[in-house]
Amino acid sequence: MTQIHRSSRGGRIDRSRELSFTFNGKRYTGYAGDTLASALLANGVDIVNRSFKYSRPRGIVAAGPEEPNAVVQLGASEAAQVPNVRATQQALYEGLVARSTNGWPNVQRDMMGMIGKLGGSFMPPGFYYKTFMAPASMWMTYEKYIRKSAGLGRSPLESDPDIYDHLNQHCDVLVIGGGAAGLAAARIAADSGARVMLCDEQEELGGSLLDSREALDGLPAPEWVSQVVTELSARENVELLPRTTANGYHDHNFVTLHERRTEHLWDTAPAVNRRPQARSRLHRVRARHVILATGTHERPLVYGNNDVPGNMVAGAVSTYIRRFGVVPGHKLVLSVSNDYAYRTALDWHESGREVVAIVDARATSRGELAEQARALGIRIINQSAVIEAKGSDRVTAARIARIDLDAFCVLGHEKTLSCDTIASSGGYSPVIHLSSHTGTRPVWRDDVLGFVPGDVKGMTSVGGVHGVFALKAVLEHAAEGARRALDAIGFESDSSAPKLPDVAERREEPACALFQVPHVKSAMRAPKQFVDLQNDVTAAGIELATREGFESIEHVKRYTALGFGTDQGKLGNINGMAVAARCLKRSIPEVGTTVFRPNYTPVTFGAIVGRHCRDLFDPERYTALHAWHVEHGAEFEDVGQWKRPWYFPRTVNGKKETMHEAVSRESLAVREKVGILDASTLGKIDIQGPDAREFLGRVYTNKWAKLAPGRVRYGLMCKDDGMLMDDGTTSCLAENHFLMTTTTGGAAGVMEWLELWHQTEWPELEVYFTSVTDHWATMTVTGPEARKLMSEVTDIDLSPDQFKFMDWREGNVAGIPARVFRISFTGELAYEINVQANYAMPVWKTLFEKGEKYGLTPYGTETMHVLRAEKGLIIAGQDTDGSVTPEDLGMQWAVGYDKPFAWIGKRALTRPDTARTDRKQFVGLKPRDPEVVLEEGAQIVFDPEQSIPMTMVGHVTSSYYSPNLGHGFALAVIKGGRDRLGQTVYLPMKDGVVHEAEIVSPVFIDPKGERQNV
Amino acid sequence: MSEIREFDCRPNDQTGAESPLAWSLQRGPVPDADTQAGVTLRESAFMGHLILRGGAIVLDEAVREVLGINLPARPNTLTLDSTGERSIQWLSPDEWLIVVPGGEEFALEKALRHALGQAHFSLVNVSGGQTVITLSGPKARETLKKSTPYDVHPSAFPVGKGVTTIFAKTSVTLRQPKADCWELIVRRSFADYLYRWLLDAAAEFGVSVER
Repeated sequence: MTQIHRSSRGGRIDRSRELSFTFNGKRYTGYAGDTLASALLANGVDIVNRSFKYSRPRGIVAAGPEEPNAVVQLGASEAAQVPNVRATQQALYEGLVARSTNGWPNVQRDMMGMIGKLGGSFMPPGFYYKTFMAPASMWMTYEKYIRKSAGLGRSPLESDPDIYDHLNQHCDVLVIGGGAAGLAAARIAADSGARVMLCDEQEELGGSLLDSREALDGLPAPEWVSQVVTELSARENVELLPRTTANGYHDHNFVTLHERRTEHLWDTAPAVNRRPQARSRLHRVRARHVILATGTHERPLVYGNNDVPGNMVAGAVSTYIRRFGVVPGHKLVLSVSNDYAYRTALDWHESGREVVAIVDARATSRGELAEQARALGIRIINQSAVIEAKGSDRVTAARIARIDLDAFCVLGHEKTLSCDTIASSGGYSPVIHLSSHTGTRPVWRDDVLGFVPGDVKGMTSVGGVHGVFALKAVLEHAAEGARRALDAIGFESDSSAPKLPDVAERREEPACALFQVPHVKSAMRAPKQFVDLQNDVTAAGIELATREGFESIEHVKRYTALGFGTDQGKLGNINGMAVAARCLKRSIPEVGTTVFRPNYTPVTFGAIVGRHCRDLFDPERYTALHAWHVEHGAEFEDVGQWKRPWYFPRTVNGKKETMHEAVSRESLAVREKVGILDASTLGKIDIQGPDAREFLGRVYTNKWAKLAPGRVRYGLMCKDDGMLMDDGTTSCLAENHFLMTTTTGGAAGVMEWLELWHQTEWPELEVYFTSVTDHWATMTVTGPEARKLMSEVTDIDLSPDQFKFMDWREGNVAGIPARVFRISFTGELAYEINVQANYAMPVWKTLFEKGEKYGLTPYGTETMHVLRAEKGLIIAGQDTDGSVTPEDLGMQWAVGYDKPFAWIGKRALTRPDTARTDRKQFVGLKPRDPEVVLEEGAQIVFDPEQSIPMTMVGHVTSSYYSPNLGHGFALAVIKGGRDRLGQTVYLPMKDGVVHEAEIVSPVFIDPKGERQNV
Repeated sequence: MSEIREFDCRPNDQTGAESPLAWSLQRGPVPDADTQAGVTLRESAFMGHLILRGGAIVLDEAVREVLGINLPARPNTLTLDSTGERSIQWLSPDEWLIVVPGGEEFALEKALRHALGQAHFSLVNVSGGQTVITLSGPKARETLKKSTPYDVHPSAFPVGKGVTTIFAKTSVTLRQPKADCWELIVRRSFADYLYRWLLDAAAEFGVSVER
């Protein structure tokens, strides 16, 4: 197919580089410099989609991000599929493959179109809910088909081969928008020496200047643009980012920019010098000042059948003609409310095609462009508008009539003009989306016929977005705004800076306020007058919404879905508000303002995620012994961000142990021989200062006054509500020097807790805290044979009377300086060896060399859990949940009520509630059936016969099978549990089974603690 | 027993010692040395790291006497000795990181304790808990921009500056002791993550790892 609408010359395309592409399975050609939209128009492709609700054929309407219809599914391969791409923003490349996102089985013959045609007039707002919701059970069935025929693309089924990344940026001035205002402002900012960033969403900088008829300094506008761009790109303090959309404007001038780096090249990112490059990049910009130069979106008029392909926004037609050398039709009718839109007729006429008529809603049109049109012999019909388009798959004629704006009615003089294109302009809506993201309400201006940005701290809006439209005024406004911005952040604008370019003044007549065009029939009976093309919201729909009592535009939007599409109502919002205002007989600002939220245009998930995915999704923290664990086949458990060995399955006779088998073997080894655990992840805090001891007494519940150097003590830490927060041992290294340990997960929190109390409550205490978690590697050697093994590797005197339980000693272990602590989390004889982490590996390896004959067995966190549970030792955070006091745990022995200074939590522990005898108390559970391992979290009841809802009296906190006991066992909290030892409780499960268990002491093995004390 | 327990945790024999990046370099990937690389990464392993806490007025004179360099006068800066091998980094209003060649840390600790006498301070050896990763090359700054929200532009991050900040999903002390040399001081347990992050971030510029 030839490019029937391509003009013979003109445009910013490279006619020497022909590109072929595929749309809906059909091959076409375009040129380098085309967008997909311009190439489709050049090839005369009228229908690009089916509409969302009524499945009406739709064509390209606009030329920028505001395009509601030409939303395509992009990508040649499955993995490269990208939904929701606006064809107007997609540069053409060789081999591009795109499909319509809507229309099933295809856009030309559409199933839903039948429903739309037959039932169109019976599909008011709420149609789907009202029609398909009953019976509710059938919605799932309907939904499948409705979604298939309506929708805005699909996600890929294969993994994305591309990478995306983030770049953190800082600048003094961020200029958003690279049109006349943005370029002028950036130039002045650059001259001041400020760090300047300029971004623009189009393929090249220049904005509307790229299709302007005006001259700057006597140069055609695009030539002036390239001069300025060349000048700016040579500046070291300026970063230019074309193809980059400012999508979100967040607090404190944090702006997110989405740079499409390779989207114009191919559907996946090509490598450069065999190095990967990110397909798109999210710039996270922190700007001292933002200059908003986002310009305007032209508003189409709302008239009957204004969605038939061939109806376009006037300025878009000019863009296609002047930038892309595409005249998207043969015969044009232009319907306008303002002077500037006349340029479209001039551009069309100059392309050698016929302008049938300009229909102007104003009584007179004597502006400069109007006079030019008149001089060319173009027919101008005043006080009139297109009231209806004729045609179904393409416009065949325009029905025009004289209208009365104030009375909102047609005055007659109807004519039908044969044409294939209707371009309309109802004025220019400032692109205020970004300023709205900050939460600032936009301000309606009658002189602009639109909203302009409200005040945002650190932001200046210049040019079109501020309601300044004429080029000369835009440049002056931008220059003035840039100087103000620089002044605000302490930069002096250079007075010798290049002067603003000479631009001719343009004589214009004021625009009139025209949004919805009246029809001879009422809105409800007239052909559909579309307000929001993407969501198929009509003027009649909005009228109905107001009749049904929705008065606020926010409610109208939600009832009709106005502005809910991926285009966020860029074309339709103001028109929709105008319709609602007319129906409610109010002014537009009285109906409400419009709120925009990030993102301005859809952003691919990849860009949001950046490199924080797959292997880099979250840090994995490794101990100094990690390599050994990997080599020895450990299975790992995530504990916070740590990777801890969970268990070490062996392969016996070619069969790998299950977790149950491995844990049984490891548990028995510790109880009968000797095991070793990598406990390096335990939090460790070095505490120094003359008041260290006093401080410990205030943050722990128990007493620290008398702990001697060389001794270790277990401590409980409560929050100020008296609930257990963390536990661990603290060793007295010297009179003013302690080493605290915390749980693995609690380390950072405890460190912050200590600093918080020291800095805010007790700054007078002379004490400092330093985290040494990563400095020390910790290896726990435990079991009856532990002493024998240790005696082979250390010079420390291990005799029981010299190195007692809860002592620590210094010496060498395997030739490495070490601190060894006789503390036990297994109930067995245990030595915790701390060495500087860089030397952990040689110590660990030596222990295995010497330990083989004792049956030294590495064990992981699962065995550690079983062993400590057998001893009734809690894990803070597993057996406690922030509602458990030390007394609930039966640890009164670790609470020093008579300490001289009130420690954290003391007051809360004297409340009547914490003294109740029926609080949930920590106990052991022995299931009646020895094979049963109760479920952790299972609820406990006293009466299994009670009807639901049953009275729940507690729950299981830890539960395992014990190879040492030969049966399952559990730890639990049960109301008044300590007085109920020997009683039977019941655990009703989801599957109807009710487990029986006896309440027992939580200490299942060695209640007197003899084994650890040997 | 003295009021603070001094303990030299560094053995004379360094056989078998493994730095925080040992596992990463063993497992790889380790890109080949590349003269075209935009970024060069190197671990300055086995340095002596001490955390010194106390009031600046209390510490200043003793530090100068023992180390021959001043405490950094301003927040977020570091000072170096004339060889550039020893440094003091501001961490917080009462906290400094001293980095010295490996093996010097215990003697330094003793000397500082002696010089400070009964003053209230704390000095903790953290040499096993962290490491120094050095980035250099024409694209080092660009790699940092991908990783940290902190402004690394020369106007905001001159030579001599050092900050503790977010870096990807961990935190580092990031500093520029001399031109074209960025040091990232990272906790041991996060070093592998940081290494893999940096290799990935610098991949588009070409990266080589010096060992």
